[in-house]
Amino acid sequence: MNITYTGFPFLTAILLSCLIGLLLILFMPAERKGLIRWVSAVFSGIALLLSVYLFLAYDRSQGGFQFAEKVLWMRSLGIHYFNGADGFNLPLLLLTSIVHFTGVLTMWELETRVKEFFALYFLLVLGVFGFFMSLDLFFIFVWYDVSLFPMYPLILIWGTTRKEYGAMKLFLYLLAGSALVLPAILYLFVKSGMNTFDLISLMRSGTFTPFQQKLAFVFFYLGFGILAGVWPLHTWSPTGHVAAPTSVSMLHAGVLMKIGAFGILRLAIFLCPLGWQYWADGMAILAVIGIVYGALVGLTQTDLKYVVAYSSVSHMGIVGLGLSTITVSGLNGAVFQMFAHGIMTALLFSSVGYFHDRTETKLITELGGMSRTMPKASAYFILGALAGMGVPGFANFWAEFTIFVSSLKTFPGLGILAISSLVISALFMLRVIQKTFYGRPNERFSHLPDISFGLGLPRMILVGVLLLFGLFPSLMVDLIQASVTPFMENLPK
Amino acid sequence: MKWMPLLPEAYFFLAAFVFFVLALVPPSGPRRHHLLALFLTAGGLIISLGAMGEDGLFFSQVYRLDLFSQLFKFMLAAGVFLIVCLCDDLQGIPKDRHPEFYFLLILGTLAMMILVSAVELLTLYVALELTSYCLYLLVPLRRGYGIHQEAGIKYFLIGISTSAIMLFGLALLYGAAQTTYLAGLLKVLPHMMGSPMVFIGLLFTLSGFFFKLAFFPFHLWAPNVYQGAANQVTAFIATSTKVAAIAILLRLVALSGSGSRPLVPILVILAIASMTLGNLVALVQQDLKRLLGYSAIAHAGYVFIGILTMSEKGYAGAIFYAMAYLAMNFLCFLVVVKRAGDGQNLKITQLAGLHQRSPLLAMALLLGFFSLGGLPPTIGFTGKFLIFLAAMEKGYFYLVLIAMINVVVSLYYYALVVKAAYFLEPEKNLPPIPLSWPTRLLIVVMVIINVGGGLFPAFFYGLAQAAARLVV
Repeated sequence: MNITYTGFPFLTAILLSCLIGLLLILFMPAERKGLIRWVSAVFSGIALLLSVYLFLAYDRSQGGFQFAEKVLWMRSLGIHYFNGADGFNLPLLLLTSIVHFTGVLTMWELETRVKEFFALYFLLVLGVFGFFMSLDLFFIFVWYDVSLFPMYPLILIWGTTRKEYGAMKLFLYLLAGSALVLPAILYLFVKSGMNTFDLISLMRSGTFTPFQQKLAFVFFYLGFGILAGVWPLHTWSPTGHVAAPTSVSMLHAGVLMKIGAFGILRLAIFLCPLGWQYWADGMAILAVIGIVYGALVGLTQTDLKYVVAYSSVSHMGIVGLGLSTITVSGLNGAVFQMFAHGIMTALLFSSVGYFHDRTETKLITELGGMSRTMPKASAYFILGALAGMGVPGFANFWAEFTIFVSSLKTFPGLGILAISSLVISALFMLRVIQKTFYGRPNERFSHLPDISFGLGLPRMILVGVLLLFGLFPSLMVDLIQASVTPFMENLPK
Repeated sequence: MKWMPLLPEAYFFLAAFVFFVLALVPPSGPRRHHLLALFLTAGGLIISLGAMGEDGLFFSQVYRLDLFSQLFKFMLAAGVFLIVCLCDDLQGIPKDRHPEFYFLLILGTLAMMILVSAVELLTLYVALELTSYCLYLLVPLRRGYGIHQEAGIKYFLIGISTSAIMLFGLALLYGAAQTTYLAGLLKVLPHMMGSPMVFIGLLFTLSGFFFKLAFFPFHLWAPNVYQGAANQVTAFIATSTKVAAIAILLRLVALSGSGSRPLVPILVILAIASMTLGNLVALVQQDLKRLLGYSAIAHAGYVFIGILTMSEKGYAGAIFYAMAYLAMNFLCFLVVVKRAGDGQNLKITQLAGLHQRSPLLAMALLLGFFSLGGLPPTIGFTGKFLIFLAAMEKGYFYLVLIAMINVVVSLYYYALVVKAAYFLEPEKNLPPIPLSWPTRLLIVVMVIINVGGGLFPAFFYGLAQAAARLVV
């Protein structure tokens, strides 16, 4: 595997932007809420700029891991602080930084325990960034857990519907996932006999026997599958999404679920390609059940957040389907879908959050005619919903299109079933749009103001990103392709 | 014979003697006793650190100094110093009993120091008994809470019963090997593990230390004693005695060589039972110290995974875990002692509003409990990681999996404690908890150790590895 080290540690700089932001927030007086918000915006902005720079500076013709940094951490166990960026994780680093920045702007009006909120928020994002960029199994696991535990207080304090239940359920489910991942990591470390946690060294062909790969793959898949919302391990996800405050829901559905999918990709598929090939049919079946199930259950929901949450289950199923095709286009689409879904769902949750903040309800039956009362706020949700339906012009279209085409080649029956679920998906989104935004207006909310420019800004950014990659998909596809193609060529046959 | 290497033991003997004399003269005030104890144990800590490099065999080769024993002695000295730091307001122990309290605390530490250096069965037994008698007396020293007697009697009765079982085990070992020296046993026992006499002898001998570690099935005393003893005494039992028990269990299990067929499966079953029972029963506890008692039973199971691997890596992991356990458990008890300023036992719900009353204590509690739960980047995570890695190397995949499931179960009740401190609103407005500057400094240092030890474990792990090599 091609690795290019860099003079300036850009990836560490991203982590430091979160860490320094976190420390500054911790040492600020709690009553300086305005200052805390600005510090959060500035440091999340720095992370965004760095991510955009890396996205643009990545040499697509060369491929491989670039901007790599490697420092020996613990010699006796072969642990390294090892980061690198490739076509698989760069889209997700960009996604995280976009959602992080827009999340901070979305929560600009927060008044309750502002300091603690942003401190935990930065800690969570620190873990997520670390997870995506790390190339050492030990650190991947550490970052994974660091990203999980702030969710518990974030939902418990600032959450809404059944927040205590939602927070605990999410916390335990996700940690149960990590309980499956750690034994698998230790198992591979021991079986390799190489005394290293270095992912790149371990992914050399022939390191693990077919049996070892099949076994470890199951544990990785189940462990990360919980976080990715794979059916039937998804049940924490709608409860957690609904209970979480707006920006946390954005991060949660937008980024955190991608940790699960990316974990399957980076650990299970990279380290156990034979296990991947062996279990691919099972993965595809579970993915398609998730797609259809998420869409069908979404159809029956009365709470706006639950609709978006179940649509996430369905859309993450599409990622799973892409991963199970074992094709270049399938992997390409899966990574693109992770990115596109992250942005789209962040947009939807931020919009729902705005309506909830103003109307104090998320029930579709209570809302109605919102496009007349709040045309701009409604437009953001509708644009997000259109992206979710796979309408051309948005990034999601290309991602889903690529996955469905590759799935039709590999699993024709399942592919047709998955595509047909798009109709249901479109149905429940249109139902929501019709009832919430164009139905009979609720007089109670007629006096409410539309979204301001400041609060609309993060939604604008998200819509802009969806359109940018929808209109110019090659910006993303070329990057992903630069890593997918050599990876697939090197797969053991 | 050179006496200088034995300076830590001699020092702690003299320190205990000082309090013995003070117990005989009219009381001179708790503040003075505390300052004196603080001064003496701080001196002991420095001397133990200075003696780290000492080695040699003493007293007809029954007493061994090496990095292994000296490292554990340092941990014990650190343990008693930290406990004394919590005794500035020693509620629950009558004021005229404070000299006896410090006497027993320091004598108990001395006994444990002897225990970790003993390489002969009778010396081990005598040291264990001396440790036990100090604790039997420390537990019922508490007055006015109505539960100390039950705790004291339970501790004493279970303690002497296990002691009898252990003595029987020692006799069997002697009968089989015709020697009481561990070095002699080490030559003979690995080849005789098939013999029921040796097998039962070793298992019975281990049971005395299972008792100290609150390891299943000798755990029954732990919740009652944790609840019944004064907060500082519970902290001592929960930290120092565990460290000593881990040390001596390492030495004894190592006697069976690199693993014997009949012994290992039994130890595996006991470790699983200890983890699972401890965690499941802890789920329903309301009293914080009882919860920590059941958590100790679970942690005995985790640490035993490292020991039962009977490998250098496993032993190193267990030694690292002993250090981690001392640090994280102390942090939890520090919060218990400071929050319950009146010496009462705390219900979990009584932590409500802690983050408003003392953000520093609340942060210490969060870190301490999440460290016990094994969340990164704390020292508790790294400790578990090292132990599980060693177990995996020995092929105990299922054991690691069961342990990880137990870790998740434990996180539920640890999260409930953290939730109470951060998210529960107290029924009435309670005043801020005053913390002196030394206490604040102590909390900051312990927090740094808990996080720093987790993030940068290389030095401590290297030390543990070097010590482990000596018992393999």
